[in-house]
Amino acid sequence: MTRDTDRRTALRLGAYALGGGLVAAAGAPVLRMLADPASKTTMTSPTDPIDVGPLARLKVGGEPLNVPVIAPQVKDAWSAVRDVVLGSAWIVRTGESSCSALSSVCPHLACAVGWDRGKQHYVCPCHESLFAPSGERVSGPSERGLDPLPVTVKDGRIQLTWTRYRVGGSRREPA
Amino acid sequence: MALPKLVPWLEARLAPTASAQVVPGGPSFAYVFGSALVALLGLSCVTGVALSFFYSPSSTDAWASVAYIEDQVAWGWLIRGLHLHGASALVIVSGLHLAQAAWLGAYRRPRELTWFAGLGLLLLVLGFAITGFVLRWDQAGYWASKVEVGIAAGTPVVGDLLRRMAQGGNDYGNLTLTRFHALHVVVLPAVMVAAVGGHVWLARRHGVTRRAGAKADDTRDWWPHQSVRNLLAAGVAFAALFGWVIAVGGAGLEAPIDPTAAYDARPLWYFRWLFLLRKLAGPLEQLAAMAIPAVVLGFFAAMPWIDPGHVAGMSSARAARNRRLALGGFAAICVAVASLTLISWRTDAADPSLQEHQAAAAKLAAKARRLARTYGVPPRGGTAVFETTPMWRGRAVWKEQCESCHQGDERKGPLIGAGYGSRAWLKRFLLDPSGDEFFGRTKLAKSEDAMEPVKLEGAALDAMVELIYQESGADDADAERAKAALPAFEETCGDCHSREDGVSSSGPALARRGTIDHLVHFIGNPKAPIHLGEHSEMPRFDREVSMADREEVARYLVWLRTATPADVAALEPL
Repeated sequence: MTRDTDRRTALRLGAYALGGGLVAAAGAPVLRMLADPASKTTMTSPTDPIDVGPLARLKVGGEPLNVPVIAPQVKDAWSAVRDVVLGSAWIVRTGESSCSALSSVCPHLACAVGWDRGKQHYVCPCHESLFAPSGERVSGPSERGLDPLPVTVKDGRIQLTWTRYRVGGSRREPA
Repeated sequence: MALPKLVPWLEARLAPTASAQVVPGGPSFAYVFGSALVALLGLSCVTGVALSFFYSPSSTDAWASVAYIEDQVAWGWLIRGLHLHGASALVIVSGLHLAQAAWLGAYRRPRELTWFAGLGLLLLVLGFAITGFVLRWDQAGYWASKVEVGIAAGTPVVGDLLRRMAQGGNDYGNLTLTRFHALHVVVLPAVMVAAVGGHVWLARRHGVTRRAGAKADDTRDWWPHQSVRNLLAAGVAFAALFGWVIAVGGAGLEAPIDPTAAYDARPLWYFRWLFLLRKLAGPLEQLAAMAIPAVVLGFFAAMPWIDPGHVAGMSSARAARNRRLALGGFAAICVAVASLTLISWRTDAADPSLQEHQAAAAKLAAKARRLARTYGVPPRGGTAVFETTPMWRGRAVWKEQCESCHQGDERKGPLIGAGYGSRAWLKRFLLDPSGDEFFGRTKLAKSEDAMEPVKLEGAALDAMVELIYQESGADDADAERAKAALPAFEETCGDCHSREDGVSSSGPALARRGTIDHLVHFIGNPKAPIHLGEHSEMPRFDREVSMADREEVARYLVWLRTATPADVAALEPL
């Protein structure tokens, strides 16, 4: 009887081991595959500055201007796509040959921020976060001010480096 | 609940119990095929779900997404390999299961429905293969599918409707992919689950068909005695499948579909017997393709009636004859299918031109995948991947419009290749403008308007080279050195050549010579007074070649300036 019981136990354990092995054999590569994109830059955006138009469109001390930021080429997983709109930026001319830029992505929940002429403030249409012309947070749910973007002027044209920041939180970190 | 307690708790509730679960005649490896099939189906299902996380069923993205899975996703090639070859394993083990069932007479009353469900499952596996093979959207899947749909289209009366239904309209495109995809991942799996459920339920209801030599007094339980055997068989099947997939390097992927390119379409191996049969049938190929599978399936389905076993009032001789008829027919079909498959393989292996085509196709596929991995696939999809080769457009236009006059022994114009417009090239030109490399083969060289060789040496010559070189806008031009050549230029060159932007003279103007703008303009109209004027034998291209294309050619020419012959040789072929 004990020998039979021992044999039965051995068979049971063997069956569990085999079943576990089968599940692991199928599951491990599948899980590895599914996790793959999480650790990769699957959507590239150019690190080089992007031309967003001539500085002459803006006046010193004038209203901010919203410009689309268009990447010449983006790799989206398997696709190589040209002229992809990455987002937009608010540009303010600060001098004869200088300007500053703010990302129009609201740091609260990533809605596109607009310029309110009457209030002379940036306003997020989704949750009414209010930002000063400098980008500083004035009121509303956003925990930080608008994110500045690196910008230079070369041969009279505005060159902007597109950066995505982590949405939410008071600290500004690249996403 | 602690694990040592949890396991028996679960076992008591999940493991089969009671006397119904005693294996009649004792547990045996004879009964493992069904379980192995369930395990393989499970693997196909799991790998299929994983693939669907990456696959995009559109005519522009399908191939690109499969190439992405194959070459860029971690273990993607393994998952695809398990999915494709798993279907082969299903076909093989189904064949064994079917043959065993036939041998045991398991199609007889009361198991006819189990038998039919099994046949239906085999057809479903083949249906998965047909619908799945198209989804790769490569040459292999595309042409194999075209042939299959072509066969269906040959059906009398409803053929054209079948074709249009299958391809979703009048031709292969987005709707073909979305249809086959929906069938492959939604409809067929749903039917499969129902059919497997029915088959297994019926098999359980009737119990295993007792094999010869089974011991009647063996009362060991299904769990764990039979289960461990089943799991072991599934493990062997998995090991064989994994081993095979790793050995052959996965599922492979041909070049993206190109409806204009000839391709030696071959079906998946389990359809090869039909492929050869159709070829042998000649003018009767339509009949062979449709009638013979129907006859084979019809015979399998009729086996419960051909050989009903011992029924009341039947002589044992008659029963034995029925048995021989059923098994003989089954064996004959198996032998025929196996022989046709082998012959088809051997015919292909002995066909040198096919080998050549396949080698060329493999090379093209490798190139397409390399380009897709390096540059990505343009949104136009498919063969546009070949256009991601660096300077593809410029080189393509060059090859078509320029190369015959500027390359090779038969050329009529100056040689243009690696180093064109470089300092070394300019120096050689200045010393011998009518040499064979330059205008030697043109009428200009033989005319009195031909340029005289420049009579400068050493530093003076280098300065002159620099003066012309800096017009190209090259980053490394040395303005100081160029300046030293200005007096010599005025003295010896200035009569014929202007250095002032937009000003022509009797010879070609040198302002901005070698820049993209200059080259675009020159290629557009070399006969313009600012260039070679009437001396040019080169035709103008501004009417046939667009500005954008001329610019692409110009970019290529500018690239040549700093390229070595090795760089040119290393360029990806067009």
